[in-house]
Amino acid sequence: MTEPAHLTVTPSHATEGVFLLSVTGELDYHTSSLLTDAVNEAPFADENVIIDLSGLTYCDSTGITVLITAYNRSRATESQLSLTGVNPDQMRVFELIGLDQVFTFHSTPEEAVSAMRS
Amino acid sequence: MTTTPSKASPALPVDEETRRLAAVHRYLALDTPPDGTFDRIASLAARIFDAPMATVTIVGSDRVWVKGAHGLPGPPRTGRVPGLCASAVLQDGPYVVTDARTDSRTRGNPLVEGDPGVRFYAAAPLTTAHGQRLGTVDVLDTRPRRPTGAQLDSLRELAALAMDAFELRLSAARTIAAERERRTGAERLARALQRTLLPPTLPEVPGLQAAAAYHTASQHEVGGDFYDLFPLDDGRWAFFLGDVCGKGADAAALTSLTRYTLRAAAIYDPDPCAALANLDLVLKGEYQGGAPRYCTAVFGVLEPLPDGSFSVTLAGGGHPPALALRADGTVQPISTMGGQLIGMLPAPRFVRTTTTLSAGESLLLYTDGLTEARTPDGAMLGEDGLTRYLAAAHAVGATDDPQRALLRSIETLLDNLGEGVSDDTALMALSVPAHPETPLQENR
Repeated sequence: MTEPAHLTVTPSHATEGVFLLSVTGELDYHTSSLLTDAVNEAPFADENVIIDLSGLTYCDSTGITVLITAYNRSRATESQLSLTGVNPDQMRVFELIGLDQVFTFHSTPEEAVSAMRS
Repeated sequence: MTTTPSKASPALPVDEETRRLAAVHRYLALDTPPDGTFDRIASLAARIFDAPMATVTIVGSDRVWVKGAHGLPGPPRTGRVPGLCASAVLQDGPYVVTDARTDSRTRGNPLVEGDPGVRFYAAAPLTTAHGQRLGTVDVLDTRPRRPTGAQLDSLRELAALAMDAFELRLSAARTIAAERERRTGAERLARALQRTLLPPTLPEVPGLQAAAAYHTASQHEVGGDFYDLFPLDDGRWAFFLGDVCGKGADAAALTSLTRYTLRAAAIYDPDPCAALANLDLVLKGEYQGGAPRYCTAVFGVLEPLPDGSFSVTLAGGGHPPALALRADGTVQPISTMGGQLIGMLPAPRFVRTTTTLSAGESLLLYTDGLTEARTPDGAMLGEDGLTRYLAAAHAVGATDDPQRALLRSIETLLDNLGEGVSDDTALMALSVPAHPETPLQENR
């Protein structure tokens, strides 16, 4: 057996009015509830949200449902959501399931912050 | 070494000893982890008696298991020899030997006559709620001595404490075993349910050879891949293949809903995009609010053409491209790229494409368990790897039985990838035979 997957989700403020969730590790069937909770607690109603995936090493379909949940929350509250640091393999998966048309992507949280300001 | 009880330690009646040993085995089966609990109890017992050695033991039929120890000079002796704990376990109250050299009960005991030369021994039995004595908490000294009543009371308390620790472990072990049993049962049920979700055989489509396969990656986690092929009422045929997110019983339930929705949708409106849109609405309604779920799928309609070829109209919702194996050996992706996953997005887009399958050509549909499989060098097989593999396999094995050869070569690929295939994989191959059966001659 492999070791249990490990995921950390660190909430912070990228700047005033921009909430940042930094995701590190493996986002899958066994770990995704951690990010689900963080997404549900994120202040979408008052702030824009960045989910930084630069530390993500694996993401399965359950992980993708959590990202879509975040997207649906941002739509419902008319706030902006940006995914940052998505690696090329993960981007290929997003393209395959059509999510490249759904999310806004930036390479870093800093870049996302300046895009949200403009 | 003998297991025959001496006169000094009379045996229990046979029935009682049998019941006692049954209890011993229940607790021994626990194989208690060396977490130090019983060592600490032994150490406390030694301190209360100001004695150099103490142990927590379980006494079996011919050996003694030392579960906790304090101050033993070497590895514990494990033979069951009368005189010390083997005798102490036979009586209800504390068992005390004030001077082993002069006490007839301990005569011949190797711990008394050899190392470490035990002179003093006091034990309280570990007694279960049903009154079975499993073993002892005992204190040993190399000097003769006389314990106080308070010390013996404390020893009895420590024995009760040790017994509580055993009970707790037994109950935890039972809970874990029951939970494991329940999970295994649920997975088995989900696996059985999943089998019912796949058609046992594909129907015979005149002029077409169809085959499908389901490759299971893990016996423990049920995936949610699905496929089907069925007639529409106008001479055309519909088929689909896809993959629901998640694993286990929830995924199986979603697979069931998906399969029946697509079949019903096809009867209502066989347009492939309409079928996927219908599924999208149903999934969104079903999983509204709760844990959201999605699936990816390809839905297609086959129309036989007068020249024996088939026109194929495909719609894709977030699914990897189908691959057409052309008569000249090339492998062509029939992409529905841009189509979006089904069941979670507010207004998903589904992409339609068409192609024709002529004599000697095949269409392969697969789920991403195949393309996401890892090759021995650790890289993902990917669409490119799959395409290269199919082109090479085609060059090697020209055959009259293309769809079986195609699935066989994929199954060989899956076998070769072995543990690299970490997710369930569904496969469907639709082939137009290279040499169509000669039509019956009507003017014979």
